[in-house]
Amino acid sequence: MTMNKRLSILLLTAPSMIVLLGVFLLPMLLMLLLSFQNDEQAFSVENYLLFAKDPYYAEIMWRTIRVSLWTVLCSLVLGFPVAMFMAQATGKMRGIVTMLILAPHLISVVIRNFGWVVVLGEKGWINEVLLALGLIKEPLRLLYNELGVVIGLTDSFIAYMVLAIATSLYAIDPSLSKAASILGASRVRTFFTVTLPLSLPGLVAGTTLVFSLSMSAFVTPALMGGTSVKVMPVIAYEQIMATLNWPLGAALAFLLLGSTILLVTLYTRLIETKRYKEVFSS
Amino acid sequence: MTKLKPLGLITFFVLILVNLPFLVIIPSSFTAAGYLSFPPEGFSWQWYTMILERPEFIESFWFSIKLAAITAVLATLIGTLAAMALHRYKFRGKGIINGLLLSPLTVPSLIIGIAALLFFTRIGIAGTFTGLLLAHILISIPYVVRLVLTGLSTFDYTLEKAGYMLGARPLRVFWDITLPLLRPAIVSGMIFSFLTSFDNVTVSLFLVAPDTTTLPLAIFTYMQETLDPLVASISSVVILLSLLFIVILEKVYGLERLFGLNSQSH
Repeated sequence: MTMNKRLSILLLTAPSMIVLLGVFLLPMLLMLLLSFQNDEQAFSVENYLLFAKDPYYAEIMWRTIRVSLWTVLCSLVLGFPVAMFMAQATGKMRGIVTMLILAPHLISVVIRNFGWVVVLGEKGWINEVLLALGLIKEPLRLLYNELGVVIGLTDSFIAYMVLAIATSLYAIDPSLSKAASILGASRVRTFFTVTLPLSLPGLVAGTTLVFSLSMSAFVTPALMGGTSVKVMPVIAYEQIMATLNWPLGAALAFLLLGSTILLVTLYTRLIETKRYKEVFSS
Repeated sequence: MTKLKPLGLITFFVLILVNLPFLVIIPSSFTAAGYLSFPPEGFSWQWYTMILERPEFIESFWFSIKLAAITAVLATLIGTLAAMALHRYKFRGKGIINGLLLSPLTVPSLIIGIAALLFFTRIGIAGTFTGLLLAHILISIPYVVRLVLTGLSTFDYTLEKAGYMLGARPLRVFWDITLPLLRPAIVSGMIFSFLTSFDNVTVSLFLVAPDTTTLPLAIFTYMQETLDPLVASISSVVILLSLLFIVILEKVYGLERLFGLNSQSH
């Protein structure tokens, strides 16, 4: 390697490496060390053990997982048909749908959540319409509970699901479905034996992504869950910014990250080693 | 075409849903009433003139614009340099550097924000503009690197060689050949960095000083106490501004390509 080339590489990568080191790697390391500190600033694992001891935290973790799973389910049920539509549509139509589903993502989540608060609130659009039609007598509680959070998160992350599945569907050879129907398979049968198995890699990518994003979402649970839906990111935030117990806050954040990675790994292992191994190996 | 119908209906429904917040916010911002209601009562610009009477929103708006603009320029510069090194040269540790550059995308913003707060407090830049800026640059770099690498994948190095053979100096070659060919990728990187910074809440949350806050964070805080049409009018302004950038992004690069790279990252 010439001196010149080595210098070029160094100069080109140095600025980004400095930023990564100083704003990301060192801070993460410090955060990890701090999470193992007790009140006397000595090394201890008690921040992590608190989790096992105190049912309050276990309940919050379970709520976080539950809300994330519901979000995955809603995004999947609503997103799969959209992906299928995109795969069957003409180029121009596909472009329009893509644009309309992706553009909202580039607008602040705070603003999108505000829109939902206006729609779902006690005097919101949905309740006003249902009351006016006489379908309900009292306003439905659609906000500041887990339902509200799931709606907000689904809206936030459904595009990732749609895009992941659509990418898989685009790659399926259309003659396979044709072959299935020529051989006499019904449309439902074709879906379950051809389309669904072949779209599994996209489905797994989409569900994993939406799950991980939901687990660590802070803004939507804070705005649409209110004080009644406490999830892990919210209590980690409270420990850091309100209680000022930084070691505990750091430990809570790492516990959240650790359990997300663990669950995602278990899930992908489970699916990829089962029946559809060959789809993933290709 | 008949078999498209049920799918088409669901797709239509989902498209309405994801765009519903905007369809609701904009009409609500023109209400003549003092509260949010459906349907909006009357028509008035009062909630827009009201913004002008709230200095905290005006200040945080300009603060956000300034922050996003500087983030966009610096992140694009830093990211483009790194991407060029990754694409042009083969060297030891290249895989590691590539992985490192994309790693901020795989860690939740919440953790990036907390880690930055803890570290910045130690080195004395917590709550400063510099600290906030550095964190925003960090979360924008991965996007720039990916965009520029994609742009470089179709880059023809013989054009640069031809420039040198015709006697151009390195800087001239860079300015007249390399840069124009990479322009779509660089412009998209810049716009995407701008929007990433301008929309961010979760990282900013931990790093702003109490008196200087970003616009999304100001809305976030205001919303937790008061829900009135003022939020709608401010949001409408932001929506229009973001739409402008989205249209440019779609024209220059294409949203689908942009998100394709986003979803691979996790």
